[in-house]
Amino acid sequence: MIEALNVHVRLGSKAVLHDVCLTARAGELTAIVGPNGSGKTTTMKALAGEIACDGRVLIGDDDIRSLKPWQLATRRAVLPQASIISFPFTVREIVRMGLTVGASTTRANGMPADPGLVDRITQDALEAVDLGGFAGRFYQELSGGEQQRVQLARALSQIWEPVRDGRPAFLLLDEPVSSLDIRHQLTIMRLAADYCRRGGGVVAIMHDLNLTAMFADHIVMMKDGRVVEAGPPVSVLTDEMVETVFGCPMRVSALPPAGIPFVLPQTAIL
Amino acid sequence: MHPSNAVTGDIMAPDPQPSQRQQTAPARRLSPLAGIRADWAAGDRSRLARLLIVALVGITILAFGASVMTGAADASISNLLRWLTGTETAEAALSLRDRIIILDIRLPRAVLGLLVGAALAVSGAVMQGLFRNPLADPGLVGVSAGAGLGAVLTIVLGASVFGPLFALVGIYALPVAAFLGALLTTFLLYRIATRGGQTSVATMLLAGVALAALAGAVTGVLIFVADDKQLRDLTFWGLGSLAGASWAKIAGAAPIILLSLAVVPFLARGLNALTLGEAAAFHMGVPVQRLKTVAVVTVAASTGAAVAVSGGIGFVGIVVPHVLRLLIGPDNRYLLPASALLGGTLLIVADMVARTIVPPAELPIGIITAFAGAPFFLWILLRGRTQMGL
Repeated sequence: MIEALNVHVRLGSKAVLHDVCLTARAGELTAIVGPNGSGKTTTMKALAGEIACDGRVLIGDDDIRSLKPWQLATRRAVLPQASIISFPFTVREIVRMGLTVGASTTRANGMPADPGLVDRITQDALEAVDLGGFAGRFYQELSGGEQQRVQLARALSQIWEPVRDGRPAFLLLDEPVSSLDIRHQLTIMRLAADYCRRGGGVVAIMHDLNLTAMFADHIVMMKDGRVVEAGPPVSVLTDEMVETVFGCPMRVSALPPAGIPFVLPQTAIL
Repeated sequence: MHPSNAVTGDIMAPDPQPSQRQQTAPARRLSPLAGIRADWAAGDRSRLARLLIVALVGITILAFGASVMTGAADASISNLLRWLTGTETAEAALSLRDRIIILDIRLPRAVLGLLVGAALAVSGAVMQGLFRNPLADPGLVGVSAGAGLGAVLTIVLGASVFGPLFALVGIYALPVAAFLGALLTTFLLYRIATRGGQTSVATMLLAGVALAALAGAVTGVLIFVADDKQLRDLTFWGLGSLAGASWAKIAGAAPIILLSLAVVPFLARGLNALTLGEAAAFHMGVPVQRLKTVAVVTVAASTGAAVAVSGGIGFVGIVVPHVLRLLIGPDNRYLLPASALLGGTLLIVADMVARTIVPPAELPIGIITAFAGAPFFLWILLRGRTQMGL
């Protein structure tokens, strides 16, 4: 489990996070939702150990500040928002970076395991994000959505086993489906859900409330650098919460019980 | 052919005999060349890179040998070989004149060329990794100018102002001063051009121009106050040349350069990860701050040592890594050693041209590298504008 305990973050003179507490359990997909500028990405950075903060962030029983970068890299991987690179790496070379510095393919003595395993995980990770035939392509020549999926494959291969040495690993995803088409949005969310099912944990910053409701086990709602509400989708995604947090009065709907026909007015043909 | 087309091409091609297909499936059974082509299609250039490094070792040895054998004077090579193979003693095989030409003039020159070329090319490659930009080069962004300032300070003020210190460090005074100048410039450059883990290319290049101009101005003041002997030293040094190569100079620069070259392989994986950004590198387990510090010090040390012994030889640091990236890709685990070899070879060859093109006089080598490098640099700019975020 990853836990943030009373986390405060200041960027320059501005306080960005106020007393953020959240818990992301292994086996669960935790979604962080909230309007732009509500502190979601900063929270993610604090969880990743990337920025200095007051309060504590725990991964398992360890304070992340007590772990070295390479130890952290064996316990969690991070999918950042869009990244631009200026060297002509191929897709395979990018994904393999996650493996050469990560833990999936290193033995206990720190030596890299056999190259066959590296190749196999690289290929499997690319297939998991539906980029099976893309290993030989140049990263810079891919579309934004394809690049995002390559980065996900890279992060995934870094912690390929959801549970390692009895400890769950965590995927931290900053808007994992932001530039994807609908089919790949579902592919990636299913991949994340599957990672949880196999014992790992996922924390994802989400904008699409429908996808969130569909896949999240636990939702953390943020506004103005604070956690406003946290819990399972049914208790967090309510008319009042959506209006309070997003400042936009909307109806949260649920399908009627099976067998009862219903009609949406948007389907009217005029 | 584009790698991706190669993949689809294989799939789309009419299937040959099933038995043949069985045979070609495992990559090991393919001939080396076909294996490399299959690797390339699959986005794996590591085998190609290893092969190129082996080839470069051979080419470097050849260039080194050729450099020792050629020159304005025709010191006999067969005699040298007779001595080297041990059939005759040095005294019997070579005349005194030839021995001096080969052992005290050409050999140190080739060794120095190898060291300086390797140092410049590797500095360029590391700096490009550090700034995450293929245009970063110690010569272009003012690091060499900073090193030059350190060296000029030592030549002009060394004996008078830093007298006791000078006596203490001896032959290392010039390389160490150049190192400090380079370190200061690199550090300033990084602080100016990098904000929150993002390096601005425009700021980096412009700050480099400003820093180089500043270092040039201070150097100008120093030249103004220099006496006649110092002026002569400065002029020879400033042209950028291996002409003054001697075993004493090598003794001063070699330890620093060899130490830097020994450290650099340990930076390779970190620099690879840094391509994706500082945050991503940290996520992948790289101690980013330490990586950056070591990289800056290494670049400053090897650039400083190279500039101290050979003056301002430009463009090696940008041309060599770029050519190699086109051939074997940007993976620093292969790029860095290959850069060292190709950089050394390039400088040895350029030096051979420099001293044979207008015999018995010789052209400063900096002129040759600039003639070859500057148009190449423009070509890089035109070709890759979009990829470099310009």
